[in-house]
Amino acid sequence: MPEAEAIRLAQQGNATAFERLYRLHNRRVYSLCLRMVSNTAEAEDLTQEAFLQLFRKIATFRGESAFSTWLHRLAVNVVLMKLRKKSGTETSLDEMTEPDEESGGPRRDFGTADLRLSGSIDRVNLQRAVEQLPPGYKAVFVLHDVQGYEHNEIAEIMQCSIGNSKSQLHKARMRLRELLHEAVRDKAREDRKAASAESGSED
Amino acid sequence: MATITCKDFLDRLESWMEGDVHSDSQAHLRNCPNCRSLVEDLKAIRSEARTWRAEETEPPAHVWTSLRSRLEQEGLIREIHPAEATKATWFGGWFAALPRPALAGAYLTLLIAGAFALSRPMNRQSNEALWRSASQDSTMPLRAQLIAEQNSFGSFNNANPAVNASLNQNLAIVDNYIALCEKSVQEEPQNEVARDYLYQAYQQKADLLAQMTERGENNR
Amino acid sequence: MSASHFVRKQFTWNVSWKAAALLVPGLLICGMASATPPPRRQEQHFKVDAHPVVTIHNPNGMITVKAWTKSEVMVISTRASDYVEVDAEQMGNRVDVSTHAAADNVAPDDMRADYQINVPEDAELQIHDDSGEVNVANVLGDMNVETVAAGVDLEDSAGYVTIKTVGGSFQCTRCAGKLEIASISGNLRLTDIHSFHVHAQTSTGNILFSGEFLPNGIYRLKNYSGVIEVRFSPADSFDLSATSLKGKVINEATLTPKSHQQHFYSRFGNSLFGTFNAGRAKVELTSFDGTINILKRD
Repeated sequence: MPEAEAIRLAQQGNATAFERLYRLHNRRVYSLCLRMVSNTAEAEDLTQEAFLQLFRKIATFRGESAFSTWLHRLAVNVVLMKLRKKSGTETSLDEMTEPDEESGGPRRDFGTADLRLSGSIDRVNLQRAVEQLPPGYKAVFVLHDVQGYEHNEIAEIMQCSIGNSKSQLHKARMRLRELLHEAVRDKAREDRKAASAESGSED
Repeated sequence: MATITCKDFLDRLESWMEGDVHSDSQAHLRNCPNCRSLVEDLKAIRSEARTWRAEETEPPAHVWTSLRSRLEQEGLIREIHPAEATKATWFGGWFAALPRPALAGAYLTLLIAGAFALSRPMNRQSNEALWRSASQDSTMPLRAQLIAEQNSFGSFNNANPAVNASLNQNLAIVDNYIALCEKSVQEEPQNEVARDYLYQAYQQKADLLAQMTERGENNR
Repeated sequence: MSASHFVRKQFTWNVSWKAAALLVPGLLICGMASATPPPRRQEQHFKVDAHPVVTIHNPNGMITVKAWTKSEVMVISTRASDYVEVDAEQMGNRVDVSTHAAADNVAPDDMRADYQINVPEDAELQIHDDSGEVNVANVLGDMNVETVAAGVDLEDSAGYVTIKTVGGSFQCTRCAGKLEIASISGNLRLTDIHSFHVHAQTSTGNILFSGEFLPNGIYRLKNYSGVIEVRFSPADSFDLSATSLKGKVINEATLTPKSHQQHFYSRFGNSLFGTFNAGRAKVELTSFDGTINILKRD
């Protein structure tokens, strides 16, 4: 069943159509949720909630935007609301980033040649770093670099400007780099401690 | 070619990563290991993230099962059997010829007839199979008439999206409610509570359709 | 005599230039006044006798009605745009307030009007509000409120109240009199109720009832799915019938079974019949597949 037909039938309450739309989009939505919350149980709940909101509102879909964009906008909002509740503070979506003291962007780190990251950017480290990103940065990074959305699509999903999307993405990557650097430094420190403990016990 | 500082390069870095490459930025990178390291790191982060794209995972089966159950509970899933749809088309034509205000009276007449048919006391029927088929026969015309009216109405579209959404959504809820009550009445024809619920559901549907008719008229 | 008639009479062959010099600015002012749209916020007052009837028909917006001690009805309306008009007129002891579009194809956001209405406390109200919100406080007369998506909030009422919503929720606090509420998917919340007659029905919404079960009172709460919750106190006295066809009935009241009724289940089950204390009030709770909770009040 083509998507357009499924949408039309779903608007009439057809169960097969609902399932077709779910099967067409569930992987993307679930992957997005999983990247954002890093917890399978939560990601499952958020996926379900996103589709539930979609199907509740499907009667109002008039084709003004691509269906998938609309769905992903719902999913991102569901996730960001959840993260906002978890943080315990009522912050606007714009505020879900970490301003620095001067310009509102992350600290500028010029990077040091002896801690080049290229060898340290593996899946596990990067995933850990992504988990630590503020929700706004995380959403744009996941949508662009992981899921491959263009900035104009992200702007529609996140209801921001294209410039804002580009800026948030850049800040997200810079922040990830800082986090990865911190992880590398922490690991180096741990290794040094372990080494000195071993040499101390041998003495 | 002008030489630029690291600060200048950083100011342009966002555009650089989007593919906007200036020759003086390129020259700076050739000569500055720190900025080079920074760019390589950002590219490596981007490349690693891209590899995750291929690994989109399917959620477990219970997510759909649970979602489907919620959709049914909220009445968002409505199933119309082919036989009823065919019958509805015939009735739909007949209904379309009637002036709208007459429908309110027609609904009431049908409901009273349906209620009378449904209210025949169970305990006078000695043959349960006969009662079961009689109950089905008594509800079929009523249900078909309501479906016909709904189909001839087309899709309801009020100028106010909140009203639009509420009426459509609640119509779906009531339809689901009717389907489940009908099933219950068929399974337990002696259950007066179930029949009472079914009758009330028909009443709610007729009332909703009348409200939608009225608001549709007001918007013409 | 209208302004235009006055102007035509003045412009005869005998009008002097001096008069014309005075009249031209006057004409301009009249012209400007007629071209200026009415202010978005309007306030109107209507003197009424005892038990006035006030009807409000508003497709979209907030309606707030409060009682006051004056023998008049005050209507303050705020229009969202110039594409919507508000009419308030009095016919005898009845004040009719309505909102209507001033043009075709008005956008929903422009079609909004909010009302703040003060009425004598014995006023009878009839309110239609499709979307928005309806709040009524301290009005003791009868009222009928119908909405589609608008929520209804009622406080300190005492008359015969009928509420009908499609999806809007209903909340009633410290209400007396007679309450009849019907909704399809709205939640119904009745707290501190002091009423002899409560009939509340919703299909997929929840119903919460916390109030007195008055002697000889009748309390019928019904839904299709969702939760019905009633809270009782040790001093209450009621005869209970609770049935959920496919859901649960959870009971904390110590009931005396009725000898002539079918099945008595001690705590969980689909049906529960019994008497609490002397059984002075009648409480009927019915659900198709929802949960019915009969709980002690804290």
